[in-house]
Amino acid sequence: MNDIAIVGWAQTPSVRLARESEVQLLVPTVAAALARANLDRREVGFTCAGSCDYLTGGPFAFVSNLEAAGAWPPIAESHVEMDGAWAMYEAWVRLQHGDIDTALVFGSGKSSPSQPAEVWAQQLDPYYLAPLGVDPVSLAGIQARALIDTGEATERDFAEVAARSRRNANDNPNAQVKGGPSVDDLLKAPYVRAPLRTHDLPPISDAAVAVVLARGDRARALCERPAWIRGLDHRIEVHQPGMRDLTVSPSTTLAARKAGYDGGPLDVVELSATFSPQELILREALGLGANANASAINPSGGPLAANPVMATGLIRIVEVAQRIASGAANRGLAHATGGQVLQHNLVCMLEGE
Amino acid sequence: MSEAKKETLVMEHLVSLRYEEELTPILERYVDALIDGRIVGHKCPQCGRVYVPGKGYCPLCVVETTDRDEVQVADTGTVTGFTIVTPVAYYGQEETEPFVYASVLLDGADSTLGGQDIVNIPRDEVRSGLRVRAIWRPKEKRSGNAVTNRGWGSVASVIDAFEPTGEPDMDRAKFEEHIF
Repeated sequence: MNDIAIVGWAQTPSVRLARESEVQLLVPTVAAALARANLDRREVGFTCAGSCDYLTGGPFAFVSNLEAAGAWPPIAESHVEMDGAWAMYEAWVRLQHGDIDTALVFGSGKSSPSQPAEVWAQQLDPYYLAPLGVDPVSLAGIQARALIDTGEATERDFAEVAARSRRNANDNPNAQVKGGPSVDDLLKAPYVRAPLRTHDLPPISDAAVAVVLARGDRARALCERPAWIRGLDHRIEVHQPGMRDLTVSPSTTLAARKAGYDGGPLDVVELSATFSPQELILREALGLGANANASAINPSGGPLAANPVMATGLIRIVEVAQRIASGAANRGLAHATGGQVLQHNLVCMLEGE
Repeated sequence: MSEAKKETLVMEHLVSLRYEEELTPILERYVDALIDGRIVGHKCPQCGRVYVPGKGYCPLCVVETTDRDEVQVADTGTVTGFTIVTPVAYYGQEETEPFVYASVLLDGADSTLGGQDIVNIPRDEVRSGLRVRAIWRPKEKRSGNAVTNRGWGSVASVIDAFEPTGEPDMDRAKFEEHIF
């Protein structure tokens, strides 16, 4: 079960608005990931994609996206209306049948044509919440307020997460929001949804990401230093956010434990903390707390620096995998999230050989 | 069995989602050519197939295509398949009379233009293999308004319909690999 590795990857830089269509972003991305893995697309045993047609409002856009993988001659493929991290989960499960040894995974999303507040409200219960127009920023604001009320975090703590994200993003050519603001400067900004300010929110981003998985000796043949998936698990909480304690993330804790995270040292951690308070909640859920080496968390800048929804989680996995492949890290944890305010959480443990 | 009927609670949840995007650069070029009276596509550098409009890649070879691969195709072609649509009422319906919804394979192209109206011929004479030519709007009435990134409205608001040329029908063998 743990002889499956990431042997290839590629992503497009996250931008506020990509003029290309989603499939036009995917074609060179998939090609680059396969090239890095030294794999011909015709050898791929299984393909799985993660995307959401509601982002661009294009019916069956996910079907067009498949042209980036080359669907002729016919291929074995699947799609999830979820972040590409879950497409990778499905591919990982498929590889465990043992009859194929490579898989292609990709995630993509263009959030630019739509209003996130309109689109993501449709994810909520249609009887009580969606008609109120409850938007993701308001929900995140409620979560932030609840976290402050526990006494465990302050607005300054949120701004520190944001400032570090932007500083780390300076070294990431694929990140969108960069800079070197001081925490004090950030705190001067007005609220967008109290207690959240613009820097506490993710940007709107367009991007695509692709990953190649391989099993056992095939992985060793395709890649000099594969990033082995030592564990992969995901857990979901109740749908109605009013029924959850938004200040904790038990599904993240459980997913991490089931993925084999034993609390040991981690060289790199990439968290899908789409709102700054969520990084604090996730660190606590993973036992990384206040003592964590903050510089090892989201060295890519994380989702506060680039948030191409449907690709964000898979990009976290890629950011860890590439650091392992380069030898810069040996053991890392990547996290992906879905649903509202950390409802659904996936943890991926990656290691060098 | 109980005669009492439980009242079913029904609520309406009306959803409105707004989408706003610019045409992709390739489609922008395609629309400029259309308004200029030319229909262009991309020719795959590997297999030579011509897609109208260009997609930016060949879906069979999975190689990228760019402006350098742009070629012009004719405004004459062949009806490969069609449906006679009988309108039914639904919110937003604009049609009232039965109309033709045809795929047209332009001469020089390997992909078809979908959803084209075929006019100046009785509907029951429309057939696969029928040779047709585009009916262009006068230049000042052309716009790219109906062309979208979705793929609908491939020549709409520039070419309103196609009509028979009067030529003998195209041999089926010549278009049966290009129905879509």
